[in-house]
Amino acid sequence: MLLAYVLLLEWTRALTATIPGAVVPALLLGGAGLALAAWGWPAERLGLGTSRLGLRLLGGLALAAVLLLPAAARVSAVPTLPGALAMAAIAVSIGEEVAFRGALFAALEDIGGAPIAVLGSTLAWTAAHALSHPVEFLPAVAAAGLLLAMWRLVFKDLVGPIVAHVIADLAL
Amino acid sequence: MKRSRLLVLAAIAYIVAAWSVAPGFYDGFTPPQPYNFVCPPPQAGANSQPSSGRLNIKIINGSSDPNSAFTDDGQLVIGFLPGAFDATGKSSINVTITPVSPCPTPNGLKFTTNTYLITADAPLVKSSNLVMRYSNVSQDPSYIYRAKSLDGPWTRLPVQQQAQLYTISTQTDQLGYFGAGFPANAISTSTSSNQEILPIVVAVLIVAVLLAGVPLTVLRRRPARAGGRGRRDEDEDEDE
Repeated sequence: MLLAYVLLLEWTRALTATIPGAVVPALLLGGAGLALAAWGWPAERLGLGTSRLGLRLLGGLALAAVLLLPAAARVSAVPTLPGALAMAAIAVSIGEEVAFRGALFAALEDIGGAPIAVLGSTLAWTAAHALSHPVEFLPAVAAAGLLLAMWRLVFKDLVGPIVAHVIADLAL
Repeated sequence: MKRSRLLVLAAIAYIVAAWSVAPGFYDGFTPPQPYNFVCPPPQAGANSQPSSGRLNIKIINGSSDPNSAFTDDGQLVIGFLPGAFDATGKSSINVTITPVSPCPTPNGLKFTTNTYLITADAPLVKSSNLVMRYSNVSQDPSYIYRAKSLDGPWTRLPVQQQAQLYTISTQTDQLGYFGAGFPANAISTSTSSNQEILPIVVAVLIVAVLLAGVPLTVLRRRPARAGGRGRRDEDEDEDE
């Protein structure tokens, strides 16, 4: 049920974003809708505890550096996001992390343990991006999902993936 | 295998996967760069057909005037220097730019832009500057390729410093078919740019992690030592 909700929301967002002028509303509403997936889950189960917050934030910066490393090594030209789009990108980054590595990860972990949680959330994350990304990018999307899910598993932390995802989206 | 080792493996797998596609991590929040495709990729959304271009170059004192030919949608611009053409017996020279349809699919190459045919009714004798625009809904092209015929062979032209986002440029001493892309079996790499913000961002992140990590680690270890025994991080290094 949760998986269907998240995928449907992501695909709808991706299709809506192709309509001229609808990108920002689609991202904002999509981000809010994805965050709703966490409804009813305790913060600790989502990896959103406040203990060791400094380390979690620091881990997020390290994770962001890894996510951006390949693009930085190429010295690619990167566009600067307009303010409204940047806000929308932050909203959807947080929403995606809460939905995929938060609620979906926790639900799958309850069903089949850690391996199912990591693989299931990664597959769902990749499928969710199938409509918005060129096919050539999907292996990188999947690898990013796997990395973020492994972080969530190893450190039982979602703050790091949220910080990393937001920084990476804003930078690229 | 320890989970922390799997995390390191996942990081390495990500770097390899992201390195194989330019620009790397990509989440599609940058507004799609408008581009009129002959053969639009599925993710391009609404698409208009690309424009052609035409230019009439005057001959002054036996030499062709400097000028630029471009498509009406600005997706391809070629600039000609004074005397770029052999103007013998000509009073003017016509240059035409036509997007090629259907899209050519040369062996071993993957084009991420349209292919254009540039023709002139006089031979080119000086190198001309060619700029092609591309879209971020496809991978960034690494090179511009040129061919005399659609059957090839396609010659890879050296690319120049990227002056603007989503453009790739080169010098060409011949006209013909032009397309931007990369070898199908190779990694697509963006051309270098004067907007080198991203390496600075990553450098700042690394420095921040190093600078903040040391005091945080020290602070974490002090209470453990004060307690008389090492504290095992229950979250890390769990055996599978």
